[in-house]
Amino acid sequence: MSDEAARFDVLVVGGGPAGAKAAVQAAKAGRRVGLVEREAHIGGECVHRGTIPSKTLRETASCLSGLRKRSGGLLGLDAGVGVEVDSLMTRLKSVLAHEERYLADQLARNGIEQLTGVARFRSPSTLEVVRRAGGKTLVQAGIVVIATGSRPRSPASVPVDHEHVLDSDSILSLRYLPRSLVVLGGGVIACEFASIFAALGTEVTLVEKRDRPLGFLDRSLTDRFVAAFESDGGRFLAGASVESVRWDGMSRVVTRLADGSVLCSEKLLCALGRVANVAALDLAAAGLALDERGLVPVDEHYRTAVPHVYAVGDVIGPPALAATGMSQGRLAVRHALGLESEGAPEVIPIGIYTIPEIASVGESERQVTDRLGGAIVGRAQFDEIARAHINGSTDGLLELVCDPEGRRVLGAQAIGEGACDLVHLAQLAIHAGLEVDAFLENVFNFPTLAEAYRVAALDVGGRRARLGGSRAA
Amino acid sequence: MSLSTRRQSALPDGVRKLLTERIEDHLELPFQSSTSAQVMSLCNDEKCDAFKLGELISFDQSLAGHVLAVANSAAYAPKEPIISLHQAVSRLGIGTICEISMAVSLKGKVFDVPGHATLVRELWMHSACSAAYCKEVARSLRENVEGAFLSGLLHDVGMPIVLQNLVDMSRERTDRQIPHGILTAAMEEFHEAVGARMVHHWQLPAWIAEVVAHHHAFSDAGEHRRETAITRMGDLLAHWALDDSAEAEDFAGDADVERELNLYREDVEGLLDLRGQVLEVAEAFL
Repeated sequence: MSDEAARFDVLVVGGGPAGAKAAVQAAKAGRRVGLVEREAHIGGECVHRGTIPSKTLRETASCLSGLRKRSGGLLGLDAGVGVEVDSLMTRLKSVLAHEERYLADQLARNGIEQLTGVARFRSPSTLEVVRRAGGKTLVQAGIVVIATGSRPRSPASVPVDHEHVLDSDSILSLRYLPRSLVVLGGGVIACEFASIFAALGTEVTLVEKRDRPLGFLDRSLTDRFVAAFESDGGRFLAGASVESVRWDGMSRVVTRLADGSVLCSEKLLCALGRVANVAALDLAAAGLALDERGLVPVDEHYRTAVPHVYAVGDVIGPPALAATGMSQGRLAVRHALGLESEGAPEVIPIGIYTIPEIASVGESERQVTDRLGGAIVGRAQFDEIARAHINGSTDGLLELVCDPEGRRVLGAQAIGEGACDLVHLAQLAIHAGLEVDAFLENVFNFPTLAEAYRVAALDVGGRRARLGGSRAA
Repeated sequence: MSLSTRRQSALPDGVRKLLTERIEDHLELPFQSSTSAQVMSLCNDEKCDAFKLGELISFDQSLAGHVLAVANSAAYAPKEPIISLHQAVSRLGIGTICEISMAVSLKGKVFDVPGHATLVRELWMHSACSAAYCKEVARSLRENVEGAFLSGLLHDVGMPIVLQNLVDMSRERTDRQIPHGILTAAMEEFHEAVGARMVHHWQLPAWIAEVVAHHHAFSDAGEHRRETAITRMGDLLAHWALDDSAEAEDFAGDADVERELNLYREDVEGLLDLRGQVLEVAEAFL
């Protein structure tokens, strides 16, 4: 190992969405930036194991599900049990190649120095980078940003062997589509995979200990998700606690529930949360400790207990979304460099790539009611929207959540194809403090799903008028 | 692909020409045993159960013997001796029965070249060990291990076929024995292409043929480059594991393969630590 340490103004550890954006932000501010990444390619779990691969598989599943619906049941399409999963993700390699090229070009364009290896703190400002092929490099930095991401959690009670019992990484390298799949968990990853495999024709049972999946969303959306999942052949088991999971040694994974019932499936997916990738960092050497959830504690500027060390993305916990991580990376660096910043954005959209898509932005009806004592919610059922009829996605819904007077837009939630794109209009309305009538005063293209905003705004207007009438009376 | 893809220097041109002609025009490929084909088909049937599978296996003495031997081996460590096929099938599971069935078929039909028992036994042990190691390489990468065993088991399947064809050629032309150096050079040079043809011939998945065809040059493997690199890593680990005198620090590996799979030293050390467990699995297939 060389005694001479490489010196950077900013050193980012981890090249996923949060780390890459932190590095680019620092470079754009004219600083010398180093980026340490364990993997050979930049992009993190998002590009290589999570978001991009699963969304590529989802696209195929969504096409099959859509074709079934649009053909009015004439085409009983599914991928076919035993089909090679690879064949359902044929575009993945070109998508990955594009992402890798784009990210590498961006780092090169901004003069960011990449170091491939595993970083470990030696002191709060000095890290060693252990190279894959052996050898170490010492690096010193005025500012360190930890963005090492997360990996699937494997609880002791679920024996993940990547053969019969899988996690959200190994399920993407399944060779054949299984006949049956039990999915443990009710969070975003569990629901995404459950709905994807159900749409592909696998017999899926989603097991969740709470009474509904995706509990952070309003019930109107989760009820629709469960209905759509079940119409694709899935089965949702609410309030089900898992007592044990074992492979029967023959051909099935046996899941025993606390109520004594037993589920048998060809494969099982354990999607019971994720854990931060911090083991290799030796945080103690930097004077840092994890919280009780195994996350790196930070303040509102993403600064850790050591003032020049910041942490962003999955290592600091929820919402652990790629878009949020990118924003955190930029903001952390702006704060660290003393650049002007508007602070963390209050309006962050959440996109869930289930079939159908679900998205949310701003406050829910429950949150607005708790905060302001009431809320007016305007709803647009997609079966009122011409484009949804054309798309065959008439079971969708858009909800606009307004203040108790029915004026200011405070939140929006949507379910249905295109939902993740659709909520961005509401996001801008919330950010700009627009009144709901803005959706009536503007003309949208026809036929588009954006029309749903007009329908929901009209619904808000109607409720507002009725409320005004009842108040006058 | 070209039949003769690599390392052409050690083989005399005359032998290469004759062997190329034979492989192109009259290559004799063994057939999969009918029991093995039936077992694999039954394993893919939703209604497959231990009873049906046990009954089918009982018709093939060699397969039945191997299933019982594997079920009673140290790798599966039964508490009580397993004496019935139904017990063995229940103990091992459909996936393993499928693997044993393929292994037995290969051993009986392919890894059997009269007059070369020692060499073929070494080849077989290497294949079984590679199969077990490929599974562990995939597992360590948090990837699904389905298929890894089979690609490891089959990666060198061309070796005994080339050997058998050389022996047959020699017998047809002269009674002289072919020098060992020529045998090994020919097997090295032709085994990938011949192995891939064998995989096609047995109607196994196309991705396995791609792995077999390129396992010495994974970057040529196209769509299945990663599976090919995993197989090559298993192959290298098996060579090391079967060398009794080799210590952990003697594992040379292959920098390109380790780069492709992004294996750090600690990852490789983790795989080397599995030597005993992998050898137990491999020995169960002897």
